[in-house]
Amino acid sequence: MIRAAFTVARKDLALFLRDRTALLLTFALPVVLAMIFGAALGSMGGAEGMGRVVVLVEDLDGSTQSRALVAEIAKSSGIEVKATTGARARVADGKAVAALLIPNGYETDLNSGREARLVLYRDAARTVEQQVVAGSLAPILMKLAGKQIGRSMMRKSLAAFGMDEKVGVELEKTMGDSFADGGDLMSSMPKALGLEIEDVTGTDDPAQKNAGKAHAVAGIAVMMLLFSLTAAGSTILDEEQQGTLQRLRLTPTASRALLLGKAIFTICVGLLQLVVLFAFGAIVFGLPVHKTLLALLVLSFAVASAATGLGLWLAVTCRSRKQLEGLSTLIILAMSALGGSWFPLMITPAWYQKLGHFTLNAWAMDGYHAILWYGKGLDGIVVEIGVLLAIALMLTLFALRGWNRRFEVTT
Amino acid sequence: MTIDSQLAVEARSVEKRYGSQVALAGVDLTLKRGEALGLLGPNGAGKTTLIRILSTIARQDSGSVRVLGLDPAVGAVAIRSRIGVVPQELALYDGLTARENLNFFARMHGVGESAVSERVDWALASAGLTERANDRVVTYSGGMQRRLNVVASLLHEPELVFLDEPTVGIDPHSRNHVYEMVERLHASGVAIVYTTHQLGEVERLCDRIVILDRGRAVAGGTLSELQRRVPATGRRKLRVIADERFVEAREALTKAGIEAEIEEELPDLEAVFLTLTGRALRDGEI
Repeated sequence: MIRAAFTVARKDLALFLRDRTALLLTFALPVVLAMIFGAALGSMGGAEGMGRVVVLVEDLDGSTQSRALVAEIAKSSGIEVKATTGARARVADGKAVAALLIPNGYETDLNSGREARLVLYRDAARTVEQQVVAGSLAPILMKLAGKQIGRSMMRKSLAAFGMDEKVGVELEKTMGDSFADGGDLMSSMPKALGLEIEDVTGTDDPAQKNAGKAHAVAGIAVMMLLFSLTAAGSTILDEEQQGTLQRLRLTPTASRALLLGKAIFTICVGLLQLVVLFAFGAIVFGLPVHKTLLALLVLSFAVASAATGLGLWLAVTCRSRKQLEGLSTLIILAMSALGGSWFPLMITPAWYQKLGHFTLNAWAMDGYHAILWYGKGLDGIVVEIGVLLAIALMLTLFALRGWNRRFEVTT
Repeated sequence: MTIDSQLAVEARSVEKRYGSQVALAGVDLTLKRGEALGLLGPNGAGKTTLIRILSTIARQDSGSVRVLGLDPAVGAVAIRSRIGVVPQELALYDGLTARENLNFFARMHGVGESAVSERVDWALASAGLTERANDRVVTYSGGMQRRLNVVASLLHEPELVFLDEPTVGIDPHSRNHVYEMVERLHASGVAIVYTTHQLGEVERLCDRIVILDRGRAVAGGTLSELQRRVPATGRRKLRVIADERFVEAREALTKAGIEAEIEEELPDLEAVFLTLTGRALRDGEI
């Protein structure tokens, strides 16, 4: 039976490798999708930004200090500055995410130790961009205003102790530029409070610190695997339609060997697809696939087995290829959305995450995240592999039952 | 039921229903080993159902069946290894070459690894496809595919072959080639069940004919036996063995007061076509 099953698998692989459309859909399409999703989710957890957010700047002060502020903001990796007039109206019209207004008297206020007023107009609907703007502006403002804040604090302190203003002026001359730099102050603040920050996930290589790309590659891999393997399983329906299945049923080869052969072929296609996609992830996105290769291979085998079980079950359940395509698309898209193939489950509510784990996608994604992001080995993904193999077994048994009902001798 | 070891097929009172529809209503059928049987009948007569039962992929509701002395209910695998079924539809892999198709089906039929190559070469030669053996089936003409479809079921040297309309939609050259293949099979002692709507094929290839209608075997026997079951036209033909003396023969009959006329026996259109175009296969031509 095993020999016959491998004969069937070898024949199906030969047919598959000669089908250019199938090859494109199996290998090229997932790579393109992974590239798109990788680019879209690329900022998650990595050094790369999500792209610079355009911030309009209306400088009504036109002073040395205000120009220095604008120049400093322009250096920010998160913000692209565009000078403008009528900033508020432009944001209000939805033409800009945010605008910074530098009022008249900004420099004077800074020099006199008064609070220098700035106005940030925001489009509240653009929450993600607002976080980038706020995150980029805060250290810049602190850095530039730091010296003035230091001087201001010193003057106020001296006045509080009843010292003469001239003492303050002399002291300022003496200390020169040695007032704490605001930016340095910001970055050293947690340390000063006894808080040490260390990124412990991802790898040591900063280029590989990218959860978004790891998610994109793994997510697309799992979703496309389901599509490909359902298509591979559908060769059962093709064979039924073209009469070759009937011809095979008339041979002394056990009917189950045919199903086993289809399963072997389908798992092989799945593994090939995963190898291509993760190789792409390693080369283009620098995913650390080589560091836990064994774990990745074992997990991929479990994922391919579970997806194969689903593909075969759907194939023997549906009466026509058209019915299979409709049903499988519906099921796969729903599973992919629920199981975290499109977006990480970590950003979804707890109930959604629980629901997601009724799909094989979620277990596959957990496993791939554990390997590619948390750097776990085989021992760290035992549960995921176990669950996926259990799903594979269950679905394969369903497929076998359907197969027997449909293709064994009719009474 | 007593088993007759001389029979390739023995079916008694076979009944089969699909829901409320009766496909077979008590069919009796026997086929001797080495005999060629033509199974005729209009569409829906039950031919396909009967072949499905005899070839072990369907089971009768009642009645008994023996194929090569075995009961399909318990010996299906053994029967399948000794029978060949040529399906009506082309059941081949378009994306594979003829040789790859045959290699695959030979292994699935349980041909030993050492014999596969020899059997595949035999099949290719038998189908007249040796020169195109390594071309994909999708590039073949309808006739080539039909011939390949036939030999794919003969790789394991079956003792009993079911052919279900094996010449549908092919050119006269290929059809003639299929006839010759069937004749060779028959001559080698293989039992044959041949279904077709082309009555001439049965006349040429089969020893005996069974006519099915509405799920019953309404008649069976040799062609001449069947012909005698239908009222004659009253018209007779007198064959003059010495062709050149037929005018003399007619005059003699006329003298004796017997009215006679000379009717020239002409070849049928297929014979004309094959004579004019030659009997060789034309697969390579564009």
